Amino acid sequence: MARGDADFVEFARAASARLVHAAFLMTGDHHQAEDAAQTALVRTYASWSRIHDDDAYGYARRTLVNHLVDGWRRPMREYPTDAVPEQRRGDVADDVATRRWLITILGALSPRERAIVVLRYYFDLPEAQVARELSVSVGTVKSTSSRALEKLRTAAPRTADEEARR
Amino acid sequence: MSELDRLRHAMRATERPDAVLDLTTVMREGRRLRTRRRVAGAGAASLATGLAAVVVVVAVGASGPGDPAPTEHPPPVAVAPPSVGVSPWAEKSLGSTPPPTVGRDEPPPKPLGQIVDSGVRHGAERRVYYFVPVSVPGEPEVSIGLAAGRQAPDGSLSTDILVNDVEGSDRSAGFHQIGYDERFAAPVPTFGYFVGPAKRIIGTVDGRQVDARVAPWSGDKQVLIFWFDPARLTPGERLDGIIARDASGRRL
Repeated sequence: MARGDADFVEFARAASARLVHAAFLMTGDHHQAEDAAQTALVRTYASWSRIHDDDAYGYARRTLVNHLVDGWRRPMREYPTDAVPEQRRGDVADDVATRRWLITILGALSPRERAIVVLRYYFDLPEAQVARELSVSVGTVKSTSSRALEKLRTAAPRTADEEARR
Repeated sequence: MSELDRLRHAMRATERPDAVLDLTTVMREGRRLRTRRRVAGAGAASLATGLAAVVVVVAVGASGPGDPAPTEHPPPVAVAPPSVGVSPWAEKSLGSTPPPTVGRDEPPPKPLGQIVDSGVRHGAERRVYYFVPVSVPGEPEVSIGLAAGRQAPDGSLSTDILVNDVEGSDRSAGFHQIGYDERFAAPVPTFGYFVGPAKRIIGTVDGRQVDARVAPWSGDKQVLIFWFDPARLTPGERLDGIIARDASGRRL
């Protein structure tokens, strides 16, 4: 394996989980998330010779997000298999409840709002960088983020009530 | 814990560290993509594989070093008559991306049917849309692509963005690929075409509805070219949704 390839494999192994999870947060669909993350890594590898010394993770993340945002017609939906993933910690029931809550909350957001929430609060990117990566203004990021959080506040009590009735 | 804190916590707590992708497939597909880009970069006929549509960005003020990195596009898979200053593919992703090559000897585009004047001006130039012939290997029903270009006072054309299907039929009913600005010196209003009896095209962005301007294509009255006024939809800003309505207001 060429050195560049070895570097890429190391990078991809380290980055895969976060890319897949970010895609899952944006789509609510594990299969779609894995497909999107794989597409991002394919494109990253295709450009590896000129980016691997730069911000490869940032490149993969931008590619992933743009790939998903371009698919804006896809509806958010919960993937129905209900397969419980390997748990790292805590109570399984709590983790399942957390995942269900998260999917419900994110499902109330538009694709753009989900993208901004994921970039702002999962990747912890500053507003200006989110704006650059989504090719929108900082004002749009602020207003969309604010709207998304308002939906979050509105949806959260309802979700809690539904959980309590289970 | 505030709702935002809970959200942050939930997004992290639900990570699956065991997520493993098939890196062998990733690298094989990556090599293929790289090869297609090289082929396209050499100006040869490019390869069609399983992609639904493609955007080909042709030079003219594309980003140089230092620009932020906006979008990633599929590789080009169609060949169209290029214009002055042609970069044969669309990828434009990192600040370090070199500017597209300039081919001063390239022939000007040859529009099919009439050119549509958008009414948008870039100095002395007019923003126009027109179809051009394209060729996609193995896809005989794809023969046209929609270009966003500028027309100089002397009538000469330079193409900024070309969008075309890469599989199926370019006349299948419904929306086809939508072209977004790629941060050119002369911003390209978002554009595309719809096949069917549409009279209105309405985009949605940030919960706001924006009517597109429309013009039927002279080459096929079922084909409706549309574009969004840059004052109402910032060029490059992604739509959240788009619909078409017929003369009676029925959604198509």
